[in-house]
Amino acid sequence: MIKLMLQVLTAAAGTVGFSLLFGVPSNYYPYCGLIGSIGWLVYLCLLPASTATVATFCATVIVILLSRWFAVRKRCPATLFLISGIFPLVPGAGIYWAAYYTVSNQLQMALETGYGAVKAAVAIVLGIVFVFELPEKWFHYTSFSLPFHRKG
Amino acid sequence: MEHSRQDREVLLAALEAGKLLLENGAEIFRVEDTIYRICRHFGLTSASAFVLSNGIFLTSGDEEEKEAQFAKVLLIPVNGANLGRVAAVNQLSRQIEHGDYTLEQVREELKRIQNMPDFPEKLQIAAAGFSGACFSHLFGGGWSDALCTVGIGALLYLYLLKIGKPHFSKIVCNIVGSAWVTFLSILCHRLLPGTHLESMLIGGIVIMVPGVAFTNAIRDMADGDYISGSVRMLDAVLVFFCIAMGVGFMMAIYNSVTGGVLL
Repeated sequence: MIKLMLQVLTAAAGTVGFSLLFGVPSNYYPYCGLIGSIGWLVYLCLLPASTATVATFCATVIVILLSRWFAVRKRCPATLFLISGIFPLVPGAGIYWAAYYTVSNQLQMALETGYGAVKAAVAIVLGIVFVFELPEKWFHYTSFSLPFHRKG
Repeated sequence: MEHSRQDREVLLAALEAGKLLLENGAEIFRVEDTIYRICRHFGLTSASAFVLSNGIFLTSGDEEEKEAQFAKVLLIPVNGANLGRVAAVNQLSRQIEHGDYTLEQVREELKRIQNMPDFPEKLQIAAAGFSGACFSHLFGGGWSDALCTVGIGALLYLYLLKIGKPHFSKIVCNIVGSAWVTFLSILCHRLLPGTHLESMLIGGIVIMVPGVAFTNAIRDMADGDYISGSVRMLDAVLVFFCIAMGVGFMMAIYNSVTGGVLL
């Protein structure tokens, strides 16, 4: 339990660090941290019960729902929150293992880990595409609408 | 004539806003949307914008010649993202819609956003080290790994700021960067037994992962902007490959020098 708490806190701190690297204004850091940590919590909780791909997908969906929700509340682009928020879910480990097994001539393992990384990336893609398809109204977009306002 | 000068100023301001958005990592539809919002608010209905991932084409002019004939193409090199500027321009375009700004004020505000300072380099380097350490813990590292990754992340970012981005092409920059991370991680792993190579390395390379390009690519494609979406996706995939190549390259060198396999 303590380990889980520590992981979640670390995810929050790491997300805030990345927000700084992307130049996000500092008044948004609490939300970035919150989104990153909730995404990671969802991922960790789902991982034992399902596959990494499913867990990544669900976590991405939650991250983007929250990003859009805060974006409406704070009146700013959702990009601010979601880019750093999905960072813990990006398959950095997959890249590493794929490279490692390729170099050490374990092609079977290299394919497996590389394929896993691609699957995680596809899960993130699907999560982003689906959640951004939801109508703006659901996020209580109030007084501000435009004739050619697409999604966002 | 006076009328057409005013129109021209509006178009230039809209173009400037679009440029700021595009070079700081906004999605294509947001750039188009902002350009149209500014133009229409200042009474220019014939404006037409075509936005690609590294360029904006903006024209105006109607058949009765009531509005200025105008055409401009702006090439925008892809730089690092600064989402603070995206948020600021977004806020500005909202306020323009509310009628809070005159054209003159819009131009001043855009200039101010353009000159908004980045975070100081030392802070960025510290943040890179810090978040690298956090991520190495997320990927199974202990305290000693996290501490090492603070140094690795900071040194990587120092390299990116001082050597990689100003002097190298993107491909070389990323290959050398991930080779540098790998080198530092192997060094830490050899000097401090008990540290985990993989978590230090992953914490380091996460800093180079092209999050903005990847996310924007997906959103552009979902919006139907396939050209820009595929360019950005190619950019992201290329960086992923470069990172993997850098790691593999350095490990292969290490293996051939020591004659054994790592871990």
